Amino acid sequence: MGKAKIKLSKDLMDKVKKYAKMAGYSSPEEFITHCLEKEIAKLEESDSEEEIKKKLKGLGYIS
Amino acid sequence: MNQIDRREFIKLGLAAGSFLALGSSDLPIKVFGKRETPQKVLILGLDGIDPHLLQGWMREGKLPYFQRLWSQGDFLPLRTSIPPQSPVAWSNFTTGTNPGGHAIFDFIHRDPERYFPLFSASETTEAKKTVRIGNLVLPLSGGEVNNMRKGKAFWQILEEHDIPATVFKIPANYPPVSTKQRTISGMGTPDILGSYGIFNYYTTEAKELKEDIGGGRIHPVSVIANKVEAKLLGPVNTFKKDRSESAIDFKVLIDPVNPVAKISIQDHEFILKEGEWSSWKKINFRIIPTQSVNGICMFYLKQVRPNFKLYVSPVNIDPGRAALPISTPKGYSEELEERFGPFFTKGLPADTKALDNDVLDDGEFLEQDDLVLRERLDMFDYELAKFSSGLLFYYVSSTDQRQHMFWRLIDKEHPSYDPGLASKYGNTIENIYREMDMLLAKAMDKVDKDTVLIVMSDHGFSPFRRSFNLNTWLKESGYHTLINPWKQGREDLFMNTNWSRTKAYSFGLNSLYINQKGREAEGIVKPGPEKEALVREIAHKLENFRDPKTGGRPVLRAFVAKDVYQGPYVEEAPDIIVGYNHGYRTSWAAPLGRIPKEIVEDNTEKWSGDHCMAPEVIPGILLTNRKIKLKSPALYDLTPTILKIFGIETPKEMVGKPIF
Repeated sequence: MGKAKIKLSKDLMDKVKKYAKMAGYSSPEEFITHCLEKEIAKLEESDSEEEIKKKLKGLGYIS
Repeated sequence: MNQIDRREFIKLGLAAGSFLALGSSDLPIKVFGKRETPQKVLILGLDGIDPHLLQGWMREGKLPYFQRLWSQGDFLPLRTSIPPQSPVAWSNFTTGTNPGGHAIFDFIHRDPERYFPLFSASETTEAKKTVRIGNLVLPLSGGEVNNMRKGKAFWQILEEHDIPATVFKIPANYPPVSTKQRTISGMGTPDILGSYGIFNYYTTEAKELKEDIGGGRIHPVSVIANKVEAKLLGPVNTFKKDRSESAIDFKVLIDPVNPVAKISIQDHEFILKEGEWSSWKKINFRIIPTQSVNGICMFYLKQVRPNFKLYVSPVNIDPGRAALPISTPKGYSEELEERFGPFFTKGLPADTKALDNDVLDDGEFLEQDDLVLRERLDMFDYELAKFSSGLLFYYVSSTDQRQHMFWRLIDKEHPSYDPGLASKYGNTIENIYREMDMLLAKAMDKVDKDTVLIVMSDHGFSPFRRSFNLNTWLKESGYHTLINPWKQGREDLFMNTNWSRTKAYSFGLNSLYINQKGREAEGIVKPGPEKEALVREIAHKLENFRDPKTGGRPVLRAFVAKDVYQGPYVEEAPDIIVGYNHGYRTSWAAPLGRIPKEIVEDNTEKWSGDHCMAPEVIPGILLTNRKIKLKSPALYDLTPTILKIFGIETPKEMVGKPIF
């Protein structure tokens, strides 16, 4: 994994540490990586894929 | 403003998955199949009626007409399909083949090039050629909607022999296959969004404000000066460059004293009391300045105060001005609409998702499904009165839906069993069997000596107490590898799967696929002996896995597709079809590629009965007013039986044999 540094405010970093621990992540880095990946995936996902997922979820057998 | 009709939809290819059409039924109708037949066939298709429950209540004298039919003719369990999912099972019946012959293997198929789930029953394509004007994208060539089921439907064969048929809402017939017979589509018919059904729920209650629940949308609203303003969302507008959703504004005025509200939407103004359902309301979504799309929906005022709660049903296709192809000829749905007014057109109308997500409670769900049932019974009277020649097939869905949702109240071992609710709603399943007895009474009253009466179901039912995370089992058994193990369980659609080190995966409710080289985008298992050995190995291990909590075997049978399917489409089948044991089913997460940490978990949902098991666990029913000669009849045996009654030989592609 690369070693790029990102500046975060102290308040935000404190919250990251607190919630990373509460949510069971092994480190704040892991938590931040997951949050960023999730948001990027949302942006990358095409409309049609998102539409199909929503449409399938109306089927009673799945959630 | 013009309403877009089906012909224009073909041309325009509007709204992904939503608005396309069946061409042939728009042609001038040359009527086939009007021959008077000396023999007639009347079939009641009662989805999910279970032979054990049926027999038990017959013995107790609670189902006198089923009992009488049995004594006049015969009653046997009916072998169902592999897997026993309704689209697969009814396709076996429709075509007289198994999935190798009709190519419907599961509710959900997958695109191996994208590892992405697909609707199995129909496929829509958008217009390929478009022109962009400002923020509008106008299609120049038409899109299409195709019924993915292969093989010929029995009513098409009857038509070739000039024998009339009416086929009412048989599942897996959307869009209806080309025919001049009277047919209307059922399960598989989308709502106006092109989905399996998405309701809207408007509430001021903070705890209910979850963003996304499967099958529904929760909208936070505010009551200001006794008024609520909200939007009802419609189809994605593919005319717009940004593909924004169309929407209709509506207002609710709340009575300051009484638990009553007035709803204003387009040209409708109506008053609902708390706990009251509206009638159908016709609405139209404006797509571009000169065009709009019709739909129908119902409102339910759940609560006025302290919190405002309003449920709006999924917007159904308007049967009077159907934007999508739902019947043949096109005029059939209009005929029914003229006679009965607007009616449910969405495939499975009962809103099980609203009940599962506590948007509707048990009583409210049953009120809604009673509307479905009453409509279905009224239309049966109409069709039965018209039936004088050929074949009538009539389908009921409430039998299936109520068993899914209320099994928890007849099964004390179920994790969702609630004694209080059981005392109130524990007879729901028995009651729907009794309703079907009354339906059968009407049918038996009509039947003469020249009419063969068949009462059938596509599968039975089993408790769904424990859920099996098939992809988690694959991962724990070394067949599926994650990129980041710490992210396990957090993502759908295999977003965390390392395909270069994955040998197998599961999409859908019973389907397991090998990550095959040359077929899957990043396949690693070579077809031939390597794959063959892997398939047998996984099937063997699956059947021998034990639930750590109960010691039971979640998987009763793991079928290898090429062992159990025949026909031209075997190559398209999943590699293994997983047949679950009594009490077990695939998990909620597995069908769309999510991989929770536990292999087996309790099912704590209200959806508590199921049939996606091994076929021997949940056979369907077969009752007739004739003696059955064939031992151990199956769904696909009924198709050549129908043909034989009308003097038609069994086509060579059918695998079934006549039962009489």
